[in-house]
Amino acid sequence: MIDQLEPAPEKGEYDFYFGPAHPGSGNFGVKLKIEGEKVISARADPGYLHRGFEKLMEYRLPLQNAVLSDRLCILEAMNWNLIHAQAVDQLMHIEVPERAQYIRVIMAELSRIQSHIIWYGVFSLATGFDTGFKIAFGYRDYIMDLFELITGGRVYPAGYLCPGGVRRDFPPNTEQKILSVLDLMEEMVQLEELENPSYLQRTEGIGVLSLEDALRLGATGPVLRASGMASDVRKEEPYEIYDRIDFDVPVKGEGDAYARNRIGIEEMIQSIGIVRQALDELPGGEVRASKFKKPKLATKIPAGEVYVRNEVARGEAGMYMVSNGEKTPYRVKIRGPDFLHMIPVLEFLLKGAEVADIPAIYWSLNICPADMDR
Amino acid sequence: MNIWILPALLRNLFSKPMTVRFPYEAIPIPDDYRGEHIYDIDECISCELCAKICPNRAIEMVEAPEKLKEKYPKKYPQIDLGKCCFCGLCEEICSKDAIKLSGNVFLSTFDKSTTIKHPFSEE
Repeated sequence: MIDQLEPAPEKGEYDFYFGPAHPGSGNFGVKLKIEGEKVISARADPGYLHRGFEKLMEYRLPLQNAVLSDRLCILEAMNWNLIHAQAVDQLMHIEVPERAQYIRVIMAELSRIQSHIIWYGVFSLATGFDTGFKIAFGYRDYIMDLFELITGGRVYPAGYLCPGGVRRDFPPNTEQKILSVLDLMEEMVQLEELENPSYLQRTEGIGVLSLEDALRLGATGPVLRASGMASDVRKEEPYEIYDRIDFDVPVKGEGDAYARNRIGIEEMIQSIGIVRQALDELPGGEVRASKFKKPKLATKIPAGEVYVRNEVARGEAGMYMVSNGEKTPYRVKIRGPDFLHMIPVLEFLLKGAEVADIPAIYWSLNICPADMDR
Repeated sequence: MNIWILPALLRNLFSKPMTVRFPYEAIPIPDDYRGEHIYDIDECISCELCAKICPNRAIEMVEAPEKLKEKYPKKYPQIDLGKCCFCGLCEEICSKDAIKLSGNVFLSTFDKSTTIKHPFSEE
């Protein structure tokens, strides 16, 4: 029997699958060709999480679509709620009350913090730094508790940032609770400075993406900023109340996995500052425009088209919405930042990498298969 | 080794863990949590708004059984918790506050038929 088996070739190409059932990869795979320990070519294998949101949204009212927009990226539902709400607001020419705008920014930034915490956690797990993973997911739960208090759900806010404002006001004493959670987040960011040499060795100089390549392949958000370009939609085209808030855009020039990870942590510090400033200036008043006080089944969206772009935790997100005067949108096109990060950028970075570095490169891009496949 | 790991180490040795021992203790659930529905049939006016706003079409309007038909002649919402996404739009649109989401989150079951909440089950 053994005689019939062909001996393994001493040198040659192998096919190697990373995902889609790998515990660290999410619902996404990469088909790799390797020779020895070197990756010769990589081919992304997307489509395992396609749910067809663009089509589903054509059959639903804006309020129902707000609920649906949670699922665009499970790890940061609130930011996607915001972008959908803004698209509908602009199409329907709705004046959002000031308090609602502040609440929207507070919730979007809290969502960004918890998304970056997940990123830090899974990146630590991928590089074998288990303590970082446990710290991250332990502290993330404090933000989940806040979401539970404010929106009524831990992961899915069910369209909390809805067209016309937000679905309900903060319960009493929420401001103090948010501030105490922010103190805990600052404590966590300090803990994340605890890095050992083996962690640095696994991340420094790995998966280097030059600025030229980043621009050519369409990288945005933290990936582009880690390659040395200060690009942030919140600064370039401020939406909601970002023009009144003072914050920095962290930039690094190295473009390696370590730089991308550091950008995430520095952005968390900036987001904590943004939430503090917004809480300081939080005005009173209504949280929902009068047109959307009570859900109405007969509200029609005026004919027109709009493109909204936002800075979500993973990069630049966009939503193009066309209406021809019906109750439901005629066409919705969603631009997720991860489509470009997970296909061209990942394929480019994996080419020529060592097999042991694949998880570090993969997770340093802050991926989300839900956002890519939609 | 980073020297300031020591205070963090000492603090964590003598502090409570982040987790709770679940079946015996649980984290408190806020009042506004979106859990299982509470339905009051006597408030309901059978307007069907909840069935129309439901994004997942989890609400179906059903007729009362024969013995209750005299008291409840219209159609009433039957909620399929298996389809429900707990968004709370039915609660928001209801003008009579007949439908509300409660803090009950313990909804897992072995029997699939129990996921359907019949409006007359408590009669």
